[in-house]
Amino acid sequence: MNEPLHQDSTEPELTDHSYDGIQEFDNPLPGWWKLVFWGSLVFSVGYWGWFHIWPGQSIIAAYEADMAAHAPVEPETPLLADEATILALMADPVAMEKAKAQFTLCGACHLSDGGGLVGPNLTDDQYLRINALVDFVPIIRDGIPEKGMTAGAINGLKTQADIIRMAAYVATLRGTTPATPKAAEGEVIPAWPSHE
Amino acid sequence: MSSSDTSASSGVERFAYDDAIVRKFAFATVLWGFVGMLVGVIIALQLAEPWFNRFGLEAGWLKILSFGRLRPLHTNAVIFAFSGNAIFTGCYYSSQRLLKTRMFSDALSRIHFWGWQAIIVAAAITLPLGFTQGREYAELEWPIDIAIALVWVVFAINFFGTMAKRREKHLYVAIWFFVASILAVAVLHIFNNIWVVAGPMKSYSVYAGVQDAFMQWWYGHNAVAFFLTTPFLGLMYYFLPKAANRPVFSYRLSIIHFWSLVFIYLWAGPHHLHYTALPEWASTLGMLFSIMLWMPSWGGMLNGLLTLRGAWDRVAKDPVLKFFVVGVTFYGMSTFEGPLLSIKAVNSLSHYTDWTIAHVHAGALGWNGFITFGMLYWLAPRLFQTKGMAKPKWAELHFWLGTIGILLYIIAIYGAGLTQGLMWRDFNPDGTLAYPDFMETVSILIPMYWVRVIGGTLYLAGVVLSLFNFVMTWKMRPAKYAESMGEAPPLVLDKTPMPAEHKPVTPLFWGGIALTGVAGAAALVPGITDSDTISSLLTLVAGIGLTVMTLEIFGRLQWHRWLEARAMRFTIWVTLSIAAASLFEIIPLFAIEANVPTIASVKPYTPLELYGRDIYLEEGCYNCHSQMVRPLRFETERFGEYSKAGEFVYDHPFQWGSRRIGPDLHREGVLKPSALWHLRHMNNPRDTSSDSIMPAYPHLLTEDTPYSVIPTRIRAMAFLGVPYDDVKEGDLSIVAAKVQAQLIEKEMGADGAGLADKKITAMIAYLKRLGTDI
Repeated sequence: MNEPLHQDSTEPELTDHSYDGIQEFDNPLPGWWKLVFWGSLVFSVGYWGWFHIWPGQSIIAAYEADMAAHAPVEPETPLLADEATILALMADPVAMEKAKAQFTLCGACHLSDGGGLVGPNLTDDQYLRINALVDFVPIIRDGIPEKGMTAGAINGLKTQADIIRMAAYVATLRGTTPATPKAAEGEVIPAWPSHE
Repeated sequence: MSSSDTSASSGVERFAYDDAIVRKFAFATVLWGFVGMLVGVIIALQLAEPWFNRFGLEAGWLKILSFGRLRPLHTNAVIFAFSGNAIFTGCYYSSQRLLKTRMFSDALSRIHFWGWQAIIVAAAITLPLGFTQGREYAELEWPIDIAIALVWVVFAINFFGTMAKRREKHLYVAIWFFVASILAVAVLHIFNNIWVVAGPMKSYSVYAGVQDAFMQWWYGHNAVAFFLTTPFLGLMYYFLPKAANRPVFSYRLSIIHFWSLVFIYLWAGPHHLHYTALPEWASTLGMLFSIMLWMPSWGGMLNGLLTLRGAWDRVAKDPVLKFFVVGVTFYGMSTFEGPLLSIKAVNSLSHYTDWTIAHVHAGALGWNGFITFGMLYWLAPRLFQTKGMAKPKWAELHFWLGTIGILLYIIAIYGAGLTQGLMWRDFNPDGTLAYPDFMETVSILIPMYWVRVIGGTLYLAGVVLSLFNFVMTWKMRPAKYAESMGEAPPLVLDKTPMPAEHKPVTPLFWGGIALTGVAGAAALVPGITDSDTISSLLTLVAGIGLTVMTLEIFGRLQWHRWLEARAMRFTIWVTLSIAAASLFEIIPLFAIEANVPTIASVKPYTPLELYGRDIYLEEGCYNCHSQMVRPLRFETERFGEYSKAGEFVYDHPFQWGSRRIGPDLHREGVLKPSALWHLRHMNNPRDTSSDSIMPAYPHLLTEDTPYSVIPTRIRAMAFLGVPYDDVKEGDLSIVAAKVQAQLIEKEMGADGAGLADKKITAMIAYLKRLGTDI
């Protein structure tokens, strides 16, 4: 345990410290170490000034600017909540593709293929509150709070166009074959009108 | 056993070191290391394959093995059982030799050892049973907290007593680090565990919401500092030069980095709370002090690695040195990454992802683990008085298994963190989230979680090898251990006053004092601290002033040399540094009312919701779910309106979380108001989300709500100032809870029939309430 230290003649002088045989050099601090350390103090003051006085934005201000820059916009010709518009959308594959992507969150209760889980099955001919295509619109927009269904905006359907597109998409689910269909609920209603 | 005798002729005293206590701690270290890391591998498996969360689900008692209950067991075991015992092993061995005396009291050493092991066993029993404060790394309930405080005091008395009866005039740097660690851990533990008792194994933090989060992360961050960093630097400073047989690279560097580390670490805690409801000024300070911490941390790495100059040829041959080199390298990596992650913009990506998990494992497996195993392989032949390890080749194999294990673990988990972080923030060109379904951002990680399982298993295999190796080496011990003797002349205390020319009063010192003084005086101007901007500036200026002053004093080598010979003064200086840094950081947050703007519509939880919240804590939901929507567009698009400080004023304790393995739940009541959905989801998450990796909670549907505990809990909350005036008398809270339970049962329809008085109903009441007040 007390063999001589590995030391050669080019090394700096040891201090006279020895603790249980441990000796110490007293090499100077590396220059870059000192530079970065003092630099970090200076940086701190600069950073604080930039973000808390000028010109940097606070987190909340930056967030609000970001939200304003991405405020939801309605299409130039607003979609109407009428039967003709919904029928046209049902036949528009691009619109239906977008709505299908937005349906992801609805799948938590209706399953992603509309087969129904906590919420009703959307694929059969029976409906609880729907008699015509336009009836989907207020339900998707406002939800059914007493049944635990949330408003469209909470699920990313922020514009009137989003809501109407979703109404059309849900209508297209009728007649499809889900993997695990929930038992039908409500009344059988007439088939959707055809799109001319 | 006689501990010392004086040889009259030479004036040299001979005394026996207590190595028996070191042997005990060493065995406990390896044993608990194995247990803690085994639990780590199990919970890693649970994330990779949820079946491991489900085993024996039919047998109700196996609920204690679900992820939310085992994860705190894993973290507590690795931090306090494995690393804790490693610290005590090294501290008891090195302190006796560095101070040239036996420990102050053999009895206290034994009380410390058995007390600490009893605490660990108590933790291992109570955490899976769901007794928890629900605050990360401070989960243990109040009776165990008291035991920890008592055992720590025993350790402190034993350690400082040893210092007092030392024969070595000057304190070596390893001792400085032990002093700072013992003092700081006591302060952290006590101030973070101030609670009001609400039952035999139940308490509520006296702090709420933002302030609770702030205290908890002041604690959490500094547990990393003073439990996982400074004591291990102490171990490094003793065992690394010993094993390398080389002088320490730089005495003056050790002074500078010790004081700057001790002083600055305490300010950095708020970097765990970027973008949360914490006031931004506190967050900025946390970030800036973290950046200032980079070089002080690297000072330790430099002194470790550069001490090996001239010994590199032996690193290739000696597994002990290999463990040390890789351990110190991981220390350097982690302490660069820490400041990096504290930068707000980086944090917005990394926070709540596996990046943090990778970061802490680089630190825990690489730094704490490898320093520990290097130390143990060096110690074992000395403790067991053998010629070497029973299986020297196994130590080499352990090193490689461990190194490859860490690399597999961290590479996979860095990948997982980046993948998930980038998916969360990804938008389609039309402004909608690219991955609106949270599940998608989890499912993609599964292959990486399997790689983690492999990496963790390799590391664990190395630990198993070491366990066998230590036992086999122990079996080679002599029939009776020889006393390990030390000798030194008795200490003659140096009473000389400090030479005037060494007094550290220089212009820079006065400059630092002046900065702090001006900031302190300014803070006294009435009304001035109402502004966030001014408060943060004053704290920053005071902090920098104190830092400059501290470094200027402690940078005076002759003065420091003089101080090192005076244990009491030295300890007082460390105490002052810790206290000053903590107070400057904490007081503004509590003093400034504007920090938590009240919101009139925010009301206390109903009695049933409060009990539901306690179930949320018991099940450890916070281990996977945050309750903090950050003000970032990709957050509010996914989780709704960002969280406000005023929404958490009744949250004793806060439940903001630190990792999202599942989605944020702060607005769960808004996003998922359906009681029926929650019922089916809690009963089996895969019924509602087919890919879910969440454990199932069917036992909540069968266990009764113990209504009788509610009044005590309501009164405890009322004691903390939560306005429960209408229900705190008699059994009113029980009546209120039962009425609400009936309503929820009705809401769940046919599926919920008969569940009103089951725990699930209380849980659903809480979930439906979350985030609905504004």
